[in-house]
Amino acid sequence: MELTLRKRKRNTIIPGFSLTLGYTMLYLSIIVILPLSMVFFNTISMSWSEYYETISHPRAVASYKLSFGSAFIAGLINVAFGTIIAWVLTRYEFPGRKIIDGLVDLPFALPTAVAGIALTTLYAPNGWIGQFFDFKISYTPLGIIIALTFIGLPFVVRTVQPVLQNLSKEVEEASASLGANRYQTFVKVILPELYPAIITGFSLAFARALGEYGSVVFIAGNMPMKTEITPLIIMTKLEQYDYVGSTAIASVMLIGSFVILLIINIIQWQTNRKFNQQ
Amino acid sequence: MSIQIQHVTKSFGTFQALKDISIDIESGELIALLGPSGSGKTTLLRILAGLEGLDGGRILFDGEDITNVSPKERKIGFVFQHYALFRHMTVFDNVAYGLKVRPRKIRPSKEEIAKKVHELLSLVKLENFHDRYPSQLSGGQRQRVALARALAVEPKVLLLDEPFGALDAKVRKELRRWLRKLHDEFNVTSIFVTHDQEEALDVANRIIVMNQGKIEQVGTPEEVYDNPKSPFVYDFLGNVNIFKGRLQNGKLKQGLFEINAPHALNSYEEAIGYVRPHDIQIEKEKVNNETVAAKIMYIHVVGPTVQIELKRQDVDEYLEAELTKEQYKTLNIQKGDIVYVRPKQLKVFIPEDFSI
Repeated sequence: MELTLRKRKRNTIIPGFSLTLGYTMLYLSIIVILPLSMVFFNTISMSWSEYYETISHPRAVASYKLSFGSAFIAGLINVAFGTIIAWVLTRYEFPGRKIIDGLVDLPFALPTAVAGIALTTLYAPNGWIGQFFDFKISYTPLGIIIALTFIGLPFVVRTVQPVLQNLSKEVEEASASLGANRYQTFVKVILPELYPAIITGFSLAFARALGEYGSVVFIAGNMPMKTEITPLIIMTKLEQYDYVGSTAIASVMLIGSFVILLIINIIQWQTNRKFNQQ
Repeated sequence: MSIQIQHVTKSFGTFQALKDISIDIESGELIALLGPSGSGKTTLLRILAGLEGLDGGRILFDGEDITNVSPKERKIGFVFQHYALFRHMTVFDNVAYGLKVRPRKIRPSKEEIAKKVHELLSLVKLENFHDRYPSQLSGGQRQRVALARALAVEPKVLLLDEPFGALDAKVRKELRRWLRKLHDEFNVTSIFVTHDQEEALDVANRIIVMNQGKIEQVGTPEEVYDNPKSPFVYDFLGNVNIFKGRLQNGKLKQGLFEINAPHALNSYEEAIGYVRPHDIQIEKEKVNNETVAAKIMYIHVVGPTVQIELKRQDVDEYLEAELTKEQYKTLNIQKGDIVYVRPKQLKVFIPEDFSI
């Protein structure tokens, strides 16, 4: 065992393995693992019953549902429209294409509070868009979904775009020459090629939406049990100096996101396996 | 299926890829479209497949005008240089694709599709690979899957775009032989594009030589090789030696050197004689003026043949000769020797032939 390990080490051509791996471990520890573990260290001071009581408080439970649910829906919306935008940007030449391409990144650059205020004003009952609807958009879960869709849009577009660009035209031509119509070619040939990128884009948009705070608090209205997102509950508890309570809720978020991202990754590994089997 | 290509033209921007191309192809032929890159051969093939539109002219399949028919309705099989397999599908699904996408009314049942796919896979000797993905196959295997996939829809015409271009020499040779066998078995009209003259001569029943968007010559491999109509064809189909000179009374003259050129009776100030390396004879003594003195620069022994590079003594030009090993041994020559070179067969072109 030791012999094979040593052999492998000597046979590798690419230098710097131990250096870069060591650096990666150190960096990840300081930047990611240590801060995250603080969440659990802080929570440890609670007893199990206290912990359970805090995290299962009806307000908290309602906020989990809202946060995970709206992030999930926003992610799905972004998958549909992000893929279409990526398609348009890569497949067609039209005036202003570069400008639209640049616009896609704007949600990345905009301070989230600015986005939140802008969206709230637009979708308020007397706002430019809100006035056309009989039902309220701002201050409802619908408004939250709109804000989360806004900030997650670039992820899907930017992950799908390069894959579409590199997709060989020959594969589509082969499909057409075999008698498939355009719809069949899209569904059976192009879409499967995009799955891995779409899943990545979805998980990024979803993860980003889960943690989003700035843009949502404005449009949500923050009514307990109705439009209160989990990050807001954490903030509220912090403002009341309830550090332990806030980390308890945070730990639920952390574990929840970890489990969901893990599931997405497993799906991704399985789709990727097909492409890269050797 | 017979194919008529009538006055087809095609431009990409200012570049004219095809200039008034007309060819008749009979049912069951195995045709090579041969030419250098940029000669328009691939464009012509893609136009036949309907993957590319044309600017002018018509294409008839069995007398029926299909110029504006979409690729999916042309009943063709197309094989790409880089296979273009669907990499998220198994070999089986790749081959079955063309049958599965048919409208329900004419789609065969699942069992029929499976039977057909397995038949085709055994034909291409890949029965045991049906559940593999393309990434698990070698280049030659992938191209065989691509061929099986194209044949599954029972095309009336098989179009192949440099099908063996991405494969190594040995696999390429094997697949060539195999393509010819397949063609004889299915008797489907097949057209393949290649820039490899050996491949074209080896596989095709008829060769169409193309250059700069025009057809230079059409003929059987023998005709094209032995009787090239233009210097381009002569040059493209193999190595050549060039003898420049003056054409007078059926003789090509240059200085003291003169040689019979029986097919050229007119006189021209400038003419060029083409000689293949294997049509060059090497002699140790000067017999008459039909030979030129040359110095042996290099001798390469390549398997059963010996290639000799010579430098002419009268002008600053190089010649290439090809001898059998036996001839080489009897001649007993070495690098640095001065020998006399006699073109055994010479084809003379006058500069008008070069005009394009």
